[in-house]
Amino acid sequence: MTIRTYWQLDPAAEPHRLEPSFQRPNAIVTPLRRAAVHNRFDYYAQVAEAAAQTAFNGLFVAYRAEADESRIIAASLAREVRGLEFVAEFPASVGSAVYAAKQAATFQRGTHDRFAWAIAPDADARSRARVGDVVAQDDLGERLDEFLTVARGVHTQRPFTFHGRHFAVENGGFDAPLNRAPFPTVFLQGESEDALDLSARHADVHLFRPGPIEHIASLVEGLNALAKQADRSVAFGLLQPILARETDEEAAFDADRERVVPGTLVGSFDTVAARLAELAAIGVSHFVLGAEPALEEAYRVGQHVLPRLRAQLAPSTTAAVRAA
Amino acid sequence: MTIDFHWRLPTHGCHSSIRRGNYDRGDWSPPSPENLAPGFDAAGEDDSYRYIDHLAQIAKAAESAGFQGGLIPSFPNTDDPWVISSLLARETKTFRFMIAFQPGFGNPVHTAHASASLQRATGGRLLFNIITGGGGPAQLWWGDSFAHDDRYGRTDEWLDVFKGVWSARSGSGFTYKGRFFEVEDGGLPPLLATEEFPEMWFSGSSDAALKVASNHADYYLSWLEPSEQLFDKFARVKDKTAALGRQQKCAIRVDLVARKTEEEAWRDMRHGFENVSEETRARWRGQATDSVGASRQAALRPTEATRWDDLIVGQNLWGGFNLLRGGPALGIVGSYEQCAAQLDVLIQGGADGFILAGTPHLEEAYRVGEEVLPLLGRSSQALLQAAE
Repeated sequence: MTIRTYWQLDPAAEPHRLEPSFQRPNAIVTPLRRAAVHNRFDYYAQVAEAAAQTAFNGLFVAYRAEADESRIIAASLAREVRGLEFVAEFPASVGSAVYAAKQAATFQRGTHDRFAWAIAPDADARSRARVGDVVAQDDLGERLDEFLTVARGVHTQRPFTFHGRHFAVENGGFDAPLNRAPFPTVFLQGESEDALDLSARHADVHLFRPGPIEHIASLVEGLNALAKQADRSVAFGLLQPILARETDEEAAFDADRERVVPGTLVGSFDTVAARLAELAAIGVSHFVLGAEPALEEAYRVGQHVLPRLRAQLAPSTTAAVRAA
Repeated sequence: MTIDFHWRLPTHGCHSSIRRGNYDRGDWSPPSPENLAPGFDAAGEDDSYRYIDHLAQIAKAAESAGFQGGLIPSFPNTDDPWVISSLLARETKTFRFMIAFQPGFGNPVHTAHASASLQRATGGRLLFNIITGGGGPAQLWWGDSFAHDDRYGRTDEWLDVFKGVWSARSGSGFTYKGRFFEVEDGGLPPLLATEEFPEMWFSGSSDAALKVASNHADYYLSWLEPSEQLFDKFARVKDKTAALGRQQKCAIRVDLVARKTEEEAWRDMRHGFENVSEETRARWRGQATDSVGASRQAALRPTEATRWDDLIVGQNLWGGFNLLRGGPALGIVGSYEQCAAQLDVLIQGGADGFILAGTPHLEEAYRVGEEVLPLLGRSSQALLQAAE
C-alpha cells in the first residue's frame, strides 16, 4: 500500500505573520528596507530564461568592466532559471585563488553543479592598473597558471601546499562536503603559443575567435598534440557572433544595415547551421553564440538554427554509435 | 533613533535543536531519514533539495519576523557568503545580506565592482562584516601568511581603496600607492557608480583592530562580553572615532535561548551540555587563536566545567554556546521578558544594533522576532532589579 501524506494550511491561522493589518511594529526596531520593484537583473533573468526555453545548454556571461560583474549575475539567476549551465567570465586578477575556488564550490552546491569558469583575456597595462592589477605583462601567464593550479589543488587535494610567486597555501584543501562538488569546467582563450600551452595543462574547453576554418583546424590540431603530451584532452569551443535570418538575402541586408562586428556569421538559418556543422566536423563542440538584442535573437537562433544544426549532426552521431 | 536587528544565516549546516549537536540540516552530516537539505523524498531517494534551499527558508523567516537582514559567516568549511547572497538576491524582498569578508582575499577594485553589482541586484541590500582573521593555521589554509598587525594594516589600505574607487567620479579616477595595494585612475563604471556605499560592520578587539574600525566602520561589532568590559570597549571606540570627527555606532552579536519561562530555557542548556561528548569538551578547552576577541571570552570560561551550571557566568548569561555550535561562547538564556530586558540593558550601554541568532535558526527567527523584539523598550528594569 502506498501512503500519501498532506500538511494542512489554515488561511485564517497566524494572522500576525505578514498580514498587514495585524502588524504591530516596535518603534525601537529599525523598519525593513524595500527593494525597487524592477531592475536590470530582471532583464538578465529573461535572457537566461529565453536561452533555457529554447534549449541552449548554457549561458555565457561575458566579463565587462563597464557593467555588472559576471559571477554575481550568474549566481543571481541560477536558482530561478533551472537546468541552464552558467559560464561566468572573469579575469585572473580577482584575488585569492583559494577564495575563488571556495566560491565556485558554493555555486556548484547551490545549483546542482551548473557552474563553469571562463578566464577573460588579459587586458592592456593601463586597464589592469585601473583595476589594481600590478602584475607585469610578462608574468600574467604564470599568474594564471598558479591561479588554476591552486584553485584546482585546494578543491581536489587535502592537504594541499603550494608556494608560488603569486599564490601560497599551506596545509590547505577543502573538506567534505565542499570537496564533493565537481570543480567548475574551465574555459580558456587565446591563440598565442603560451596560451595554447597553458590550455593543454589547464583547460577543459579552449575557446577560439571566429576565423577561417583551416586556421581553426590547425589550432585544434596543435592544441590536441600539446594536450596529448600532458596526458589530457581539451574540448574546443568558438565565441561566435551570429546573424541568422530566413533567407541569405535578408541576413546580408540586415548585416549591412546593422554593421555587425567582424567575424559575425551571417546567413540564412540553413547557411548558418551548415557552417556550424562544418566547424563541428573539425572538432568544435562548444558554440558560444551571441547576437543583439539578446532576448529576441536567443529565440530566433534557438528556435530555427539549433534544430537545423542538431539535424545536420544527427546522422554522424547515429553512425558513430552504430560503429561503436 | 531605532536599533538595527539582524539575524544570522548558519553557513555550516544547522541543528534541528539546541539540545543536540548533530548537524541534521545540510550535508555536513551523512544523509539519513531525519536529515534535511538534502533529505529523502517519500520514496527514500535524494529529494534534490540542497542546503541553499534551507538558507532561503531562514532568510525569508528572518524578513517575515522583522529582521533587517542577516550575517553570513565565512570559515574554511562553510559555504561562501558572496555566492549565498547572489543566489538568494532575487527571491528575498527586504533581507539585507551581511557578507563576512576578509579584505585580503579579494582585489579591492574587483570587489567594489562585484559589490556594486550586488547592490544593483538587490536594490541596495548589501552590507559587510569586515573581519581580519583569527590567525594561526586557518590563515595559511586560506593562503594568507600575514602576521596579525600587518593584516590590520592591509585591511585599512583595502578599505581605503574600496571606498576610493567607489567614490571616484568619472573624469577624476582614483589613484593609490600603498604597501599592499596600487591603483591608477580606478573607479566604478558610470552605471554602477550611483549605488549606495555598503554599510561596514567591523569586528576585532585588539588595539590594531580598534584603530582601523575608527577609520572605516559604520558599526563596531563585538561578541557579547560581560557588560562592564563591553561598555568600556564601546566607550573607547566611540571616543576614538569622535576624535576623528565621526560618530561610531556599536553592535553586538549574540545567541539567545528565549523560552516562555526561564526554567524551560535553562532546561535546554542542561540537555545541550549533557549531550556533548567528553572529546568535544577536551577540544573546546584546547582551542588556539591569536584573536583577541576570542581570548576576551575565553577568560570567562571556567577551566573545568563539569556541570552545565558551572557555565552560568552572570544574570541570564551562559558561557558554553560554542560547545553546542560553532561561534562565540557567551549567550543569553531566559524567558522572553528576561531576554528583552538583557537586550535593553545592552542598548542602554551603547549598542545601536544586534546580530541575533538561535538554534534552529529558521524557527527561532520567528520566535525571537515575534516574542522578544516586541517587548524591547518597555521591559523591564523592574525584572532586573527584582532579580538582584
